[in-house]
Amino acid sequence: MADQHDLQSLTSSIQAVASPFRSYLNDLHQKYQSLNEGAVATYIPELALANPNWFGISVVSVDGQVFEVGDCSKLFTMESISKPFVYGMALEDRGQEYVWTKVGVEPTGEALNSIVLDEKTNRPYNPMVNPGAIATTDLIKGQGGTERLKRILDRFRGYTGREHDINVPVLLSEKAAGIRNRANAYLMLSLGMVNDRIEETLDLYFQQIAILVNARDLAVMAATLANGGVNPITKEQAIDERYVRDVITVMLTCGMYDSGGEWIYRVGIPATSGVGGGLIAVVPGKIGIGVFSPPLDEKGHSVRGIKVCEDLSRDFGLHLFNCAQPKYDLNAWIEGDDSIEGW
Amino acid sequence: MPKVVSIHSYRGGTGKSNFTANLATVAALQGNRVGIVDTDVPSPGIHNLFSLDPENTNKTLNNFLWGESPIEEAAYDVSANIGLTNGQIFLVPSSVKADDIARILKDGYNVGSLHDGFRKLVKALKLDYLFIDTHPGLSKETFLSIAISHVLILILRPDKQDYQGTAVTVDIAKQLKVRKMLLAINKVLASMNPDALRQKVEEAYDLPVAGIFPLSEDVVRLASEGIFCLRNPDHPVTDEFRKVAHHIMS
Repeated sequence: MADQHDLQSLTSSIQAVASPFRSYLNDLHQKYQSLNEGAVATYIPELALANPNWFGISVVSVDGQVFEVGDCSKLFTMESISKPFVYGMALEDRGQEYVWTKVGVEPTGEALNSIVLDEKTNRPYNPMVNPGAIATTDLIKGQGGTERLKRILDRFRGYTGREHDINVPVLLSEKAAGIRNRANAYLMLSLGMVNDRIEETLDLYFQQIAILVNARDLAVMAATLANGGVNPITKEQAIDERYVRDVITVMLTCGMYDSGGEWIYRVGIPATSGVGGGLIAVVPGKIGIGVFSPPLDEKGHSVRGIKVCEDLSRDFGLHLFNCAQPKYDLNAWIEGDDSIEGW
Repeated sequence: MPKVVSIHSYRGGTGKSNFTANLATVAALQGNRVGIVDTDVPSPGIHNLFSLDPENTNKTLNNFLWGESPIEEAAYDVSANIGLTNGQIFLVPSSVKADDIARILKDGYNVGSLHDGFRKLVKALKLDYLFIDTHPGLSKETFLSIAISHVLILILRPDKQDYQGTAVTVDIAKQLKVRKMLLAINKVLASMNPDALRQKVEEAYDLPVAGIFPLSEDVVRLASEGIFCLRNPDHPVTDEFRKVAHHIMS
């Protein structure tokens, strides 16, 4: 019944607002809003326009509760955050064995734009570095660029529950600045690792990183992975559950690029970031985290995004290998258990 | 641990502001630091009971909700205004300026920031109790104050419209998993049997009735210009407020 649904959605949104967990996120937002480290990306003019004060934190639980603090509706381009999701699509389109022959899963310890392939197999090392992302984009099925792009946009709609647009100036700038990406693509073409519709695939690559999302979208996408591929709000199956593990795994091993080791050591949550200021993190079976804050550290990750994930991981024991009693119990904080000293 | 108490009624005119002011005063008199927030932004009024002149309230809840000032700057110590002998009362009024009311109705506000403001106020003023005086009826703000309260008090008059509306509110409060809910019946005619009324209402809602207040000429005379309990410490109505306060504090 529609009425019942409306009341439920209103009470659920109010419960999220009233939850001590949102108060915790609010304190976290205040704590790091004043942190003025890092610098916004400037390699293309559009990203340089970002306001360094923009800061949004969103967390979505696998049962669909949405927590938002700060600039959670502000749109920004996804950049590298699209990569694991397109990898998931490639797995569905071609199957794990075939994808395996085209792109590896080894962390490189190198920056994301380095021009490097595995010497033995000619494969890019993993789907998160740019050559690997171009190789996975090549695997997306469809008749022509338009249909392939539409399939990708449809897929992101499944993950977030809403339609997405592409930021055309960012797309054009990325394309104009993407000389190394073009070099990577043609190197792989010369080795027979990608299809010869290479310009179309490159366009598709530049288009997917210019898809506009907000912090809430990232949290819903992450929560969808955390929930076995089912969007916890719309209940839509966004990705075949067989491949969810693969996507989360490449995020864990390769998602933070050349700072991956330190990330796993300190935070221990599968994550990836984009130079637009987005950071997405998946806590399987529990929550999805989306942070937006444009100032980046020297490795290209959102400075405030990293701080937020460090605090969440430490306080709620979200590190994958955590065996110790966490400081706070996540469920109790989300549900507003009486034991929480929320005041 | 500080306690948050929301006072609500489904319909207007139940005596919510008077009830809130008296209950807060009884709580303060036991040596507590008490805050009151008037979240009735469309029709604020409780400041009158504490003799707080809108001319002297340069900051209000509205300014906080617009992000213009911290909430504690909109909190006024009204203890001296009412001659409080023990404890302290801080009041956060809503603006009575027509422009301000129009602006907040037109633009709305982020209900999350209201929650953040409550928490900030409790911490900054080291409150033992926070009372939230609400706008009648159901709205996002009402839902929020119900959801964050440790105790929700629903005021009703003994008539059919109030009975129905209260039933709706009780349903919603249960969905919002409110921790403790109490009923207070106000404006009870002298001809009614209070014990029978209590039994009937408690059975109908399966909730305790914390107090029954008569339609009293004494109260009406003093309404809107002072705190009844302070002026009439030995009146049976004051005793009834003490009973409700006891329910909250236990």
